[in-house]
Amino acid sequence: MNWLTRLTAALLRCSAGVLPADRRMWARALWAEADEVPAGWLRLAWLVGGVRLTIREAALGRTLGYPLALAVAAAGTAWSAWSGPRGDSAVAINRVDVIATAVILAGLPWVVRRARGPLAGSRLARLVRTGGYLAILALVLVKAAVERVADAPPNHLEAPARAWTGELVFLAVMASYAAVILACTARRSPAAPAAVAIGTVTGAAIGILVYALGPLGFPLRFTGLWPARLYDAAMALGALLAVCAPAAAGLAAARRPRRSMSAGSDARQCAMTGLCTGAAAALVVAVLSTATIALLPYASGLRNWAADHIGQWTPIVGQVTPLVGTRLGYVAGNSAFAAGYLIVLLLSPLAGCGLGGLVGRAAGGTGVSRPRLPAGGPPVPRPALAPPGGPRPASK
Amino acid sequence: MHRPRFSAQTLAVLADLCATPSQWRHGYGIARNTGLKSGTLYPVLIRLADRGLVEARWEDEQPAGRPRRHLYRLTPEGLAVATAALARAPDTAGTRAGARVPGTRRAAAGTAP
Repeated sequence: MNWLTRLTAALLRCSAGVLPADRRMWARALWAEADEVPAGWLRLAWLVGGVRLTIREAALGRTLGYPLALAVAAAGTAWSAWSGPRGDSAVAINRVDVIATAVILAGLPWVVRRARGPLAGSRLARLVRTGGYLAILALVLVKAAVERVADAPPNHLEAPARAWTGELVFLAVMASYAAVILACTARRSPAAPAAVAIGTVTGAAIGILVYALGPLGFPLRFTGLWPARLYDAAMALGALLAVCAPAAAGLAAARRPRRSMSAGSDARQCAMTGLCTGAAAALVVAVLSTATIALLPYASGLRNWAADHIGQWTPIVGQVTPLVGTRLGYVAGNSAFAAGYLIVLLLSPLAGCGLGGLVGRAAGGTGVSRPRLPAGGPPVPRPALAPPGGPRPASK
Repeated sequence: MHRPRFSAQTLAVLADLCATPSQWRHGYGIARNTGLKSGTLYPVLIRLADRGLVEARWEDEQPAGRPRRHLYRLTPEGLAVATAALARAPDTAGTRAGARVPGTRRAAAGTAP
């Protein structure tokens, strides 16, 4: 008990040091009172309450928790992606991935901070920034897992020069994603909070939908008539939604009331919403699909399901069907990731931004406007219109 | 006039401080009288101090054998607000927070010398 109490007291003393200056004295006050509390459980409970206080008051989750979670995630990614035999080109690529991603994620905030300011104070900004960073780390992790299998003996890395070029493009795309995430969640963000929120949520939903329709990046194959028809209908609907989502999200975000306006800001917010939608969708689908591909060599059930539902649609899939084991992961991984998801990651945000901007401009031209707030306060409720012919007499 | 609404825990703290408004009190004494745990009491004190209803200071002299304590009392505005709030909800402080009614039991236990 004594050692636990001493440990908690030490924790409280240390954690008080990370509190903002105006809150530090409260934690110290609580610590100073601990000697008055009877020893044993009561004193321990008093000190535990102090630790709770520091967590609440410092918003320790903000000042320490998020960076700590990201550091742990980055360390886990590095540990997982680093392993492999020396001299293997794929392992070298994975190690470059880890180092470059760490430099990008750690260094870009300093660059963006100068241009756009620090992280905005809202919970939304923290969530989007942390979620985006975790998604990038997850993508590096699952990509490394795929490449470790794809290029391990008896497979070998084909055309190392092309692989390194692809790697450079991948890192450039990841840096662009990190920059967009940082800029959109900064205090002087070019995107309104509504644009970020609506775009991110819509994009994540579209990403999950696209993943459900083709988990490995290929259309699924169903043998029954009705399942096949239903799947075709779902594919058509999914394609329609994927195309319309950035525009619809942009319009929804532009119609949200805002206090600050500038010329052309509606069209710009539509474009920013489309950008967020496209980026979130691409990131989600790339992470989920690449993770599924990475699992293929280890999950026989998933492999059997893939062999039953993927194949004979395209020449590429024709190569997949007869292959089993690690080579299935190799073919699916190489073809899907290198040729597919990198392009998706590259084009989806651009397409979303373009669509959103076009629709925003068109909506502005047709007079579709959003409600506008007065500069100093909440919207003033409009008085109820009197019915024609004057007010009605009160009913009896 | 805007009437602030307080939680049962805050009312319990206000009631305890109201019992001896001119005297400086320390946190553990308030906790004993109100039955609140430290993780509940101190956020309440912080909010009250932020709103200017409670003033705080450290003990002037270093006592032997223990650290200096942080002391609290109601400001004049805090006393007025607390009196009004307690008059509006006389039972809340004593029931919902599980707090003891100040003055009936060890009301002066947390009083700083």
